[in-house]
Amino acid sequence: MARTQSASWRRVAADPALLGAIAAVWILLLLFVLFPMAHLLERAFVDDGGFTLEPLLSSITDTSHQAAFVNSLILATAVGVLGTALGFLFALTAVRGGLGRHWLTALDAAALLPLVSPPFTTSISIIFSFGPRGFITHDLLGLTNVSAYGFWSTALAETLTYFPIAYLTLRPILAAIDPNLEEMAFSLGGSRWRIFRTVTLPLAVPGFANAFLLLFAASLADFATPLILAGNSFPVLPTQAYLQITGLFDFKGGAVLSLILLLPAAAVFLLQRHWVGKRVYVTVTGKVGQRSRTRAIAPWASVVLVAACFAVAAIIVYFYALLAIASLVVAFGANNGFTWHHYHVIFTEGLPAIRDTLIIAAIGMPLGGFYGVLVGYLIARRDFPGRRAMELVAMVNYALPGTIVGIAYLIAFNDPPLALSGGALIIIACYVFRYSPTGIRATVAQLQQIDRSIEEASSSLGAGSGETFRRVTLPLIAPAFFAGLGVVFIRSMTAISATIFLVSISWTLITVRILENMTEMALGPAAAFSVFVIVVVFVVVAGLSAVLARLRAPTAGATARSFLGG
Amino acid sequence: MAPVSIRLDRVSKRFDHSVKGEVYAVREVSLAVADGELLTLLGPSGCGKSTTLRMIAGFEEPDEGTILIGGRDVTHVLPNRRGIGFVFQNYALFPHLSVFENVAYGLRVQGRDEASIARAVGEVLELVGLARYDRQQPHQLSGGEQQRVALARAIVFEPQVLLFDEPLSNLDAKLRVEMREQIRELQKRIGITTIYVTHDQEEAMAISDRIAVMDRGSIVQQGTAQALYYRPATEFVARFIGRTNLLTGRVLGVSGNRVEIEVEGQRVGWLEGKTMAAPGDLLRLVVRPEMIDLQPALPGDPRCGTVMSRTFLGEKTDYAVTLGSVTLQVSASGPSDLPGLEVGRSVTVRFRPEGMHALG
Repeated sequence: MARTQSASWRRVAADPALLGAIAAVWILLLLFVLFPMAHLLERAFVDDGGFTLEPLLSSITDTSHQAAFVNSLILATAVGVLGTALGFLFALTAVRGGLGRHWLTALDAAALLPLVSPPFTTSISIIFSFGPRGFITHDLLGLTNVSAYGFWSTALAETLTYFPIAYLTLRPILAAIDPNLEEMAFSLGGSRWRIFRTVTLPLAVPGFANAFLLLFAASLADFATPLILAGNSFPVLPTQAYLQITGLFDFKGGAVLSLILLLPAAAVFLLQRHWVGKRVYVTVTGKVGQRSRTRAIAPWASVVLVAACFAVAAIIVYFYALLAIASLVVAFGANNGFTWHHYHVIFTEGLPAIRDTLIIAAIGMPLGGFYGVLVGYLIARRDFPGRRAMELVAMVNYALPGTIVGIAYLIAFNDPPLALSGGALIIIACYVFRYSPTGIRATVAQLQQIDRSIEEASSSLGAGSGETFRRVTLPLIAPAFFAGLGVVFIRSMTAISATIFLVSISWTLITVRILENMTEMALGPAAAFSVFVIVVVFVVVAGLSAVLARLRAPTAGATARSFLGG
Repeated sequence: MAPVSIRLDRVSKRFDHSVKGEVYAVREVSLAVADGELLTLLGPSGCGKSTTLRMIAGFEEPDEGTILIGGRDVTHVLPNRRGIGFVFQNYALFPHLSVFENVAYGLRVQGRDEASIARAVGEVLELVGLARYDRQQPHQLSGGEQQRVALARAIVFEPQVLLFDEPLSNLDAKLRVEMREQIRELQKRIGITTIYVTHDQEEAMAISDRIAVMDRGSIVQQGTAQALYYRPATEFVARFIGRTNLLTGRVLGVSGNRVEIEVEGQRVGWLEGKTMAAPGDLLRLVVRPEMIDLQPALPGDPRCGTVMSRTFLGEKTDYAVTLGSVTLQVSASGPSDLPGLEVGRSVTVRFRPEGMHALG
């Protein structure tokens, strides 16, 4: 093995472009992944120059923190179960419901909308619906003194926000189950319910596990929804860590709390990676639409399925309509007179936030896209010492809850030599290293479909590794590149959990302004901001999809889907 | 272009196998290919022939040994600095580029000007018979056309040597014969030193100046097609190239350089050159089916074989003949209805001297 190692070193050393690329990626990973994490650990465990567990011990014996920890787990479990059930309902309907193409597209759109929305969208609508002067609780039901805050509203908002992840996970798995299998069981005389129970469900089990873990992790890391909806009665870890830092300026306490959050997050990540991670990445094929309608689901059952799906979709659409209306009336619930005032506010007072966000997204997008493609190419195609380590380190910021990453960046880049706090660079770096892994994975997946001999051909024709990458590889993985761009852009417009720690007077973000509006109960501008973000994201995604379609890539459909998978 | 020679000196490549541990893919292979020569590496799948070729191209690096191209040590030189044209089994055309751009690729990398690129690409497309295909996309072409584009791409930048990795195995049988003739004709015309990898012995015999047969990572024999066919060095080569009868024969007597041989107690002929043999020695014999003559046995002759089957195949007729405990494959040209050679008849068996070869 030692000889092989030295041979691969020699190869790398003989290839300046490759050596440069590897060195550049490692420098970036050291600076923006390992360095902040090291600082976070140091802040949490080193005191007066010595190692100490005291802050950790005092933190975990603190009963309010224990409550937050337990609450986080309860919430994540609830969201995992409910979201997986809802995702399965949608996936089953999409695959076996016998819907026409246009209905399917409509269902897809409704299901995927929450994934590309800013984090507070559902929360705002829930307050508008179920708050003290809520449309449903007050206007329709005439209730007074109701509270929209607490566990159930948080769980509902998170379930509606994250169930599309389960849908995207389960749908290809159900689609990959050959209906002929069910047909055969049916022809052998099994009842439909029995077939569903003994054939369909067992085949989908890895998908269920994976969907649950993904939702669990998403809920665990979610910071925005509980901040708005959980209220004082239901504290969770990410919000506690946030309050520790922004309210009490206790960096050490915040660091320790975020590390406690790391425990279940790491457990879920490892479980997902080693248990089901490898089995569920079934590619989406075009076969679903071509198959004849299966009889494995009784006609009445598919009617029920379709009805249930459209009911959920209607709730989602209702929430978004509510948001649009709230952005256009003086004060929703109290004064429903039409006004452009909120839009006027966001384009005057709110303009700096809009400008900053767009600048940051516009710079981060190409950087993140290119970084994702480069790292994906290196780990999928090149053989060099430390390749596995690079793959792992590149995933760290993506796998960690945003709160941890945000606090780590805040601590690491606050002082010289790297005093980046307050600038745009730190926010851009945070987005690039946190959201490019989707582009990395898309690149790896795409490269696995491209035979190595195509690159070898280029090399035998005289092109060095840099030139081969530019002339051959890059054009062929363009779909993954655009998918990477899309995800970084969407997240730059909508994410908050990490970057809320990084905004400053000179650089702020729309999502942070929405949060401020919410806490000031200025719900109109918050709604207007949200509508603006949704429109911008929609336009950019539509533009990228058009580019992808022009590339005529065979995997464009699957890649477009992966816009939303991040 | 000045063709150059290729030399491999004790080249080895190992890899780690999850079950077997460290395994040699290629073991101490030494080779010399002369200027303008076409050498074929022939062997079954997994014999190391493709790995050898890929090391010459620079896609893999040998663990031991040296590789010289035109006298220059290229063992650790990157593929793009070797000046080698490579034709892949799956063509490996750039799917995002037109036929013209595929062929022009190597020239663009060299930074040639547009006019000379257009001229060179036009000429080489003409040469492979695809003159009007320059605007086509690879996916619009048939397999044979794609392979000709790949060939054009590999020769347009005037490489020092040309390497082929099973270039025809994705084509149908008829096209394979056509293409191999074209490749051979083109190779001779431009006089480029070439190594050609295939598992198809007929293809190897048709196209090569010389063939190197590989088995389990090593070269077992090198030589012309005739040498390999009539004088195989090992049973492996004998079995791998053509149909063969592998028999044990006994030396009856030696006179001059003629050695009389009997098989299953029957005198079948004599072979030349094995003068060290003594009466009673046992020899492993290789006899090709078309080198055996059958005659209807004379009545009462006990030293006969029996015809077990007769199959008419058009240009020849195959027989299976038992001789004691062995069954011989015999192939004869001419009509299939010769009297006296029907199934069940007794026949005398003679091996032609030039067609009998003793191993070892």
